[in-house]
Amino acid sequence: MSKYKLIILRHGEGSWNKENRFYSWVDQKLNSDGLEEAQNCGKQLKALNFEFDLVFTSVPNRFIHTAWLILEELGQEWMPVESSWHLNEHLYGASIGLNWETMALNHDEEQVRIWRRSYNVTLPPTGESHPYCHEISDSRYKVCGVTLDQLLRSEILKEVLERLLPYWNERIAPEVLKGKIVVISAHGNSSRALLKRLEGISNEDIINITLPTGVPILLELDENLHALGPHQFLGDQEAIRVAIKKVEDQGKVKQVKK
Amino acid sequence: MSKYKLIILRHGEGAWNKENRFCSWVDQKLNSDGLEEARNCGRQLKALNFEFDLVFTSVLNRSIHTAWLILEELGQEWVPLESSWRLNERHYGALIGLNREKMALNHGEEQVKVWRRSYNVTPPPIDESHPYYHEIYNDRRYKVCDVALDQLPRSESLKEVLERLLPYWNERIAPEVLKGKTVLISAHGNSSRALLKHLEGISDEDIVNITLPTGVPILLELDENLHAVGPHQFLGDQEAIRAAIKKVEDQGKVKDSKK
Repeated sequence: MSKYKLIILRHGEGSWNKENRFYSWVDQKLNSDGLEEAQNCGKQLKALNFEFDLVFTSVPNRFIHTAWLILEELGQEWMPVESSWHLNEHLYGASIGLNWETMALNHDEEQVRIWRRSYNVTLPPTGESHPYCHEISDSRYKVCGVTLDQLLRSEILKEVLERLLPYWNERIAPEVLKGKIVVISAHGNSSRALLKRLEGISNEDIINITLPTGVPILLELDENLHALGPHQFLGDQEAIRVAIKKVEDQGKVKQVKK
Repeated sequence: MSKYKLIILRHGEGAWNKENRFCSWVDQKLNSDGLEEARNCGRQLKALNFEFDLVFTSVLNRSIHTAWLILEELGQEWVPLESSWRLNERHYGALIGLNREKMALNHGEEQVKVWRRSYNVTPPPIDESHPYYHEIYNDRRYKVCDVALDQLPRSESLKEVLERLLPYWNERIAPEVLKGKTVLISAHGNSSRALLKHLEGISDEDIVNITLPTGVPILLELDENLHAVGPHQFLGDQEAIRAAIKKVEDQGKVKDSKK
């Protein structure tokens, strides 16, 4: 019997999603598709009569805008929203700004799939000369005590979970346990890391989990905050299957270029 | 000697502003002018290099959207934002939704001015027969406040606005200012006036003559005791601000052509 409900969602598209480039912590705005995805997400939640109490987002603006658009659709702009770097996308190191397709051409699709999805295989770190270094070493990260060294690294999914977990345990879980309905607006990898933890997904199986953008993901939890069953995507299931395939195809070389 | 700076602002226009109706606790959206006013406000603050640590708004969406647009212009969407009913616009009771011009025709400009601008005259309370009563009090935002639903106001004078605002200023906002945080308060005409009255020590008589334009950042410099070191200042093109103030003042007057 589900005691608690949690909604996780992956933000909508920014221009780099269309170009298949690794966003990581770079602050890209939502493009028009991304804006529409967020609004549709809100309409979906409104049609299901979802009432929240609290929203958590990561720090880059696309997640916050996603949350704002959803709250606007629900007429609940007054809801508390808290942003934390603990929920940020994983740091892609030197690969920030690059494109999965280029990497798939230069390495192979299976290697790229492993880099994208594996739990503990790392990408090369970045350096201060990287074109996006200064953009991500912004005042907002000085405010939360994240050092430049920490920003220059690349992270593996395991490390995303390691820095997300204290925040889940100390800030989010207590609210869920009070009976609050919480929405977490984050991105693909921090969402996957959290689902891995709550559903007990293995290091091997997590590679095969793909999350579509802008689709609310419902997780029902027992009194110990363990998932009662697999996560469920809310909305039109056919459209969701197409959306999942779109994300998976980002790592493949397009047929027409062969 | 100014130790702290505070930015307060009155959100931009909603549809009812143009119709001269008392919006009060009805959750009207900003119209396109109001959205543009908010963005201009953000650009103004960006040009002055403001970096906020904290934003406070009411629970009415027009003050929140104003804050969101400003944060977006500044590239500071991540700044913590807190919303409270205690910063809501003054509750106009039974006058909510009524047109100021019609009221001026029926009751005279002076009575309208007293209702709008006096310090301690409370309009008649809203009751269940009012067309907007249920829209307001059935909303979940008023069921999760720090006071029970039946304790929330049904009508307010400006004095009563200050009485419910002050605990929030003292307990939530002032401590942050004293820590040296740069704070933005995105509020409404009367909740902003009430706060300025308190911080600047404006008398009950003089507050009647204070008009705040919409969408203009108001800077208040405070000493170590959080008292104003001088009068509030409007940031931006001063000619445009004078015109904006006059527009607000004229809302209470009967148009000459109708006399």
